[in-house]
Amino acid sequence: MNLSIGDNEYAFLIGPTGSGKTTLLRLIYMDLMPQVGNVVVDQYDSKKIKPRKIPYLRRKIGMVFQNYHLLNDRNLFENIALPLHVIGYTRDEIADRVIESLEEVGLEGKSEHYPEELSGGEQQRACVARALVKDPDIILADEPTGNLDPVTSFELIKLLEEINREGTAILMASHNYNLIKGRGHRIVEIQNGSLRQS
Amino acid sequence: MDKMMFLLSEGVKNLWRHKLTAFTAIFSSFLTLVVAGSLLVVSQNTNKVIEYLRDKYKIEVFFKDGVAEERIVELVKEFKNINGVRSTTLITKLDAERIFKSQFGENILDLVGYNPLPASCVVNVARRQASKLNVNPIINRIKSYPEVDEVSYQGRLISRIESYYQKFVQGMTTILILVLVISVFIISNTVRLTIYAKKDLIQALQLIGATKSFVKAPFIIEGVFHGLFGALFASAFIIGGLEFGSGIIYSVTRLRVQYDPFILIGILSSTGVLISYLGSSRAISRFLK
Repeated sequence: MNLSIGDNEYAFLIGPTGSGKTTLLRLIYMDLMPQVGNVVVDQYDSKKIKPRKIPYLRRKIGMVFQNYHLLNDRNLFENIALPLHVIGYTRDEIADRVIESLEEVGLEGKSEHYPEELSGGEQQRACVARALVKDPDIILADEPTGNLDPVTSFELIKLLEEINREGTAILMASHNYNLIKGRGHRIVEIQNGSLRQS
Repeated sequence: MDKMMFLLSEGVKNLWRHKLTAFTAIFSSFLTLVVAGSLLVVSQNTNKVIEYLRDKYKIEVFFKDGVAEERIVELVKEFKNINGVRSTTLITKLDAERIFKSQFGENILDLVGYNPLPASCVVNVARRQASKLNVNPIINRIKSYPEVDEVSYQGRLISRIESYYQKFVQGMTTILILVLVISVFIISNTVRLTIYAKKDLIQALQLIGATKSFVKAPFIIEGVFHGLFGALFASAFIIGGLEFGSGIIYSVTRLRVQYDPFILIGILSSTGVLISYLGSSRAISRFLK
């Protein structure tokens, strides 16, 4: 299986449940290591990378999950600021970047809200803001529309397209072909352990 | 700097977010430190008793008749340099005659016509010694001088006191180590509860690129605060207890309990911080493995 995602590319990864979409994404952010072959992200090669370097690879990748992974004990501002604290930004830089990210995903004015106070669509946009805030090279979205209604799902895809237009590569996994077809992006299908690209 | 502040504030916030776990961890370090602090005060005061008893140990050395006084003075100086000897006092034949007169009210020269009392020396042993004091090497060394006629000392009493003291020190040390080790495990298991409660945060941190030390830091800081609070409560408890009980102890035993509150707080705080640090870093390291 060979897959290459270029800079600024928007690609969909589709396949039925259990086909290995999430596994493929986990291989990219090196939560799993390949038993054969290798994964290369920027200068990081899974064959050569030391475990202590994996966090630095992940700082170049933004991740969006189906079940959001937002922390319920902190508000939106704190959730989105977390990756910046990890990287070591100053307090002022963090404030500027978080506000900018919230504006970009249309959640301005909600920074004090807690995840439980937001709708599913808003929570997912907050996840996008959290992925986006550190200015990643690529965003990996694992079934981000899985818990959203069709309209909100459509809005999320449009949002990711806007982000992509500004220079961030996107790889979005989904099992909903109807949602992604005809959008002019590359579609990679995973089935029975092999990839088919269109 | 901002990163450090963030980690510190996360550690402090964790205390507030997990009140029950914090209470349990603080309470276990409090109990441990009360035991450790009490043992410390007891051992400090036992030391005072043993120092008092050692002060009473006396080795009397009698010199042979006919040894020149200058040589005796020399020997007494040499005795003072023996390891474990605190001080020496020379008692010349003339001093012995005076002591006899003051004790019995009669002049020995009038009784027997000459002074049969030998020159002697009182050897006082060192008071401050952490472990068992062995007087035998001192005795053997003194006996090795040909000018020495006889050495008199309370051998059985000294060795019995020293042997009890040694057993006491060993027992205290064992109990202390045991208590500290147990508390590290208790704190470690308590902190594990916090870690499980925060596994979403840990997972999120790992996914966004946090290093292991960044993930660990707030939990360790939280643990250190547990230890510090436990130590402060334990210090207050022990000092309060001593203030309250010292009058009663004095009225019964005529012994004043001696301790330095600042040293006690310092030792308990550093011990509390150390055991909490070990406990929490053990817990988080095992979780991240």
